[in-house]
Parts: sequence; C-alpha cells; structure tokens
Amino acid sequence: MLPPLMDINSILIIGGGLSGFTVAQNLRTRGYDGTLGIVDPDGIPYDRPPLSKAYLLGQKDAGGIALAPESWYTQHDVEIITGTARELLLAESKGPDAQGIGVRLTDDRELYADRIVLALGGQARTLPIEGGDLDSVLVLRDRADADKLRSKLHPGTHLAIIGAGLIGAEVASAALKLGATVSLIDPIDPPLIPAVGQELARKLHDMHTPAGITTVQGTPARISCAQGMHTVELVDGTLITAHEVLVGIGMVPNTSMAQVAGLETDHGIIVDEHQRTSDSHIYAVGDASRTRTTTGELLRRAEHWEYAMNTGATAAASLSNQELPQHGASWFWSDRHGVHVEGVGEMNAQGTTILRFIDDSPVAAFRLGEHGKLVGAAAIDGGLTIRAARRIIDRGIIVDPVALADPNIPLKKLAR
Amino acid sequence: MREAINIGSVDDIDEGEALVIPAEDNGTKDDIAVFHAEDGNFYAINDECTHETASLADGWIEGTEVECPVHAAKFCLKSGAALCLPATVAARTYKIEVQDGDLLLYPDTPVV
Repeated sequence: MLPPLMDINSILIIGGGLSGFTVAQNLRTRGYDGTLGIVDPDGIPYDRPPLSKAYLLGQKDAGGIALAPESWYTQHDVEIITGTARELLLAESKGPDAQGIGVRLTDDRELYADRIVLALGGQARTLPIEGGDLDSVLVLRDRADADKLRSKLHPGTHLAIIGAGLIGAEVASAALKLGATVSLIDPIDPPLIPAVGQELARKLHDMHTPAGITTVQGTPARISCAQGMHTVELVDGTLITAHEVLVGIGMVPNTSMAQVAGLETDHGIIVDEHQRTSDSHIYAVGDASRTRTTTGELLRRAEHWEYAMNTGATAAASLSNQELPQHGASWFWSDRHGVHVEGVGEMNAQGTTILRFIDDSPVAAFRLGEHGKLVGAAAIDGGLTIRAARRIIDRGIIVDPVALADPNIPLKKLAR
Repeated sequence: MREAINIGSVDDIDEGEALVIPAEDNGTKDDIAVFHAEDGNFYAINDECTHETASLADGWIEGTEVECPVHAAKFCLKSGAALCLPATVAARTYKIEVQDGDLLLYPDTPVV
C-alpha cells in the first residue's frame, strides 16, 4: 500500500520531454505542493514535433518550441536541474536508515526524492550495417540533432534520407523548402500502411515525386564517406551519392539505467496501469515505458506525442492518489508537402476498410472491425473527421458504412 | 473604445457551430470566432489557435470547449484558457451580448 499524497514530499522527474513535463504540470494542477524537479541535459523542456518541421525551417526558435515559458517554472516552483542521470540509487531505500531513492548524475551529483519518475525517452535507431555507426550519419531526436541537420542543409545540398516514415517524410519536405535535393530511401513502398492504411499510404508516398523528391525502393547494405561525400549502397547494388545521410528508422527506448537498477524491462520499462515500475516508488512514462495490464497482457510500446502526454497525466494522477484519467484511442499527426495527416485507433486491426473520396482521390479511410465497429481512421486534411472518428471509436457508436463513405456527410453528425 | 458590432441573428449560428468575424469587419487585428456552445450560450475568442496556424472556428465544439482541428489543443470558450498541450497560451476573449435576438460583439472588451 502506497502512502497517501501527504507522505510524498519530494518528486524527481528524470527527463524533460513531453511526458516528464506533463508529470510536473499535472502534479501542480492536481495540488501537489512538495519539492519537484526535472533533470534534463537540455534544461527547459521543449516540444519535439517542430524539430522536423517549423524549427528545422527556422520558423520557430528555441523559445518558440518551449513547452512552457521559463517564468512558469518559477511560478510553480519546479526546479530545472540541467544534467544527465546515469545511475538509479535504490539500495538506500531498502535498509533501516533509508534516505529515499535517488539518481547519480554524470557529474557525480546525487539527488534524492520520495518518488522518482523516469521519462527517459529513447535514442534514434541506427542501421545495423557497415557504416551505420559513422559519426557523420545524421539522426533526429533532439534539438541539437535538429540544429546540426539545419546547419548542413543549404541550396544544393544533396540529402539522402533512409526511412520514409513520419520523420523521414517530414524532413524530406522541409529540406526541399531549404533548397536541398532529396533522395528518400525505404525498403517498403509505400511505407506507413499500418498507420494510415494502404490507400492513403499510397497517396501520401506518391506526393514526394511531384514535389521534387527522388524516392528509391531498396534496402541499404553499406554507408561510406569519402572526401565529404556519402555513398549509400543498396542490397541490389544501387549507389546513391549524397552530401549528407539522415537515418529515420524509429527509436530504441532508454531502458538500460532501469535495467541495471534491477527494474523489470522488456523492450521498455514495464509499468502497471498507474505507470508504476516493478519498484512502486519509481514510475516510468512516455516512449520508454511499456504497460502490462492488470490481466497480464503486455501492450505494444507507443511512441507518439499524445501517448507521452497521456502517460505523464496518468502518473501525476497516481502520485496524487487521485482517480486515473481515461485515455481514448491513440492519435498521431504528420505534416508534409503542405498537407496535414492524422490517424486514430488501429488502421491495421482485423477488418475491412471503407474509403471516402473527393475528386476520385481518397481523403479518409475507416477501419471497421468486428460487428461493424469503427476501430481506426486516417485522414488527409481532415482534422474534424478524425476528431469525430475518435469519439465514435471511444463511445463504441455503430455507424452506417454507406454514410462513412459519403463525403457529403460530415462525420460529426455520425458521432452525436 | 469601439462600439459593439451587430453580427447578426442568434439563428445564424447553430448550436455546436461557429462563425468567423474577419479582422477587417471587427476592427481589431485578429479574426474573431463566435461560438454557439452546447450550453446554449455564445462566446467569442480569437479564431487563430495560439499554438500554430489553425482556425478554431473549424474545431470540435463540445460543451463549452473547442478542440483545435489541427493539433487538438483545447480551449475554454468562457475564459479562453488553454486546457491542454500543445497550446500553452490562452486565447483572447471578447464580450458577446444577445439583444432582441441579435448578437452584439464587443471587440475591445475581454471577458477575462
């Protein structure tokens, strides 16, 4: 049995991404008035989606992507501790002279608290091929990565992007605007079928070529760098020469610190539905956390923006000893070539797809599962359609497939 | 101080819908969105989401909140408060009055 909120006098959040920030913000909203700190090497928390879009393009600066202005931290008495945690200190909490649990930073500072929240995020996945670990191969996870990428993109730069998923496509679109020439490489054509379904995936991928991007279907076998130029060699022998190479093939959760400390991990830090790890004094949220339900089912780890926010909100509610918030179907968005893509729920669930067309082109896809229930939806420039679909999914409303396919019927009408 | 602007009949905006009064018509530098919320009342806030470019009048109106159609930030129609990320800045509010079945917008009078 956990002590009630009044017995928690200090909470330390390790990681200042969206999930860590949300924990702090929600704790204060929920009335927690004890000591609260966020440890992050980058200092003030910032939002990451703009790193492949507005920030990369220079339309927003570092201040423009802050999750809250600096004054917010003073007003809400949240200490920003600039540093990198390297070790969890748990042993002390077990003995009779327990001084709480803590972390040791890379500069050997030790910080202790009654509860620790791990918001550790992840690293960009690297290609397990020769040259995949070259220092000059670019990735995009944090602001420093975006700054480095931006400094390399000039009119005339040839950028080869490996991975044409969300980040790859967004960077390709932004790089074009900065005057770069872009080759976009992916073994799968079209990518994103699990996220948006076959038809919208095709339409989105087909937007690259008219925009001026060279799309290449193939699997990289080797990356080399000589005299300032990179060469990506594909399995079929094709050679793509470019000034810069960016790899956007997903992320690997940062679990090692939790694992070394003896917390349960399995391709993520295992948490319960309160976001508590196998040590009930330690919580984990965001990209690096992975939920095991009360029935023992191990869920897939999610890596989307809203998931980070939701898990942070859940941890804050649990730490406050308050009722846990209910979160609906998962949701994501992406922006490229001037269009806005959104998806909700599971487009790759068992079932059938209903399409909505405007001018013979698919604009929305709906996945119907068992008993005709909507389980997923995706749309291009259809924000309200997705907001409606989300409510239809969450409320289990049965909708007429004919109405779903009819572009003249606003989905909003079907959600009420 | 500008006079109130008569922006038309209450019947012009169905419940759960919104109407944009463009900057050139309302005299301020911003487009203003007038919402007929699900509590039956009318509210006015700046149309542009405080996060990124998007029209809140095109958003999802539920109760007395509006959810941005692009990145799902929510705003309180009564106070303009940003209720969730990615928005962190409140939307500007404007006083609205119903008089003889018409809607009067006060472009210089914030509600809060």
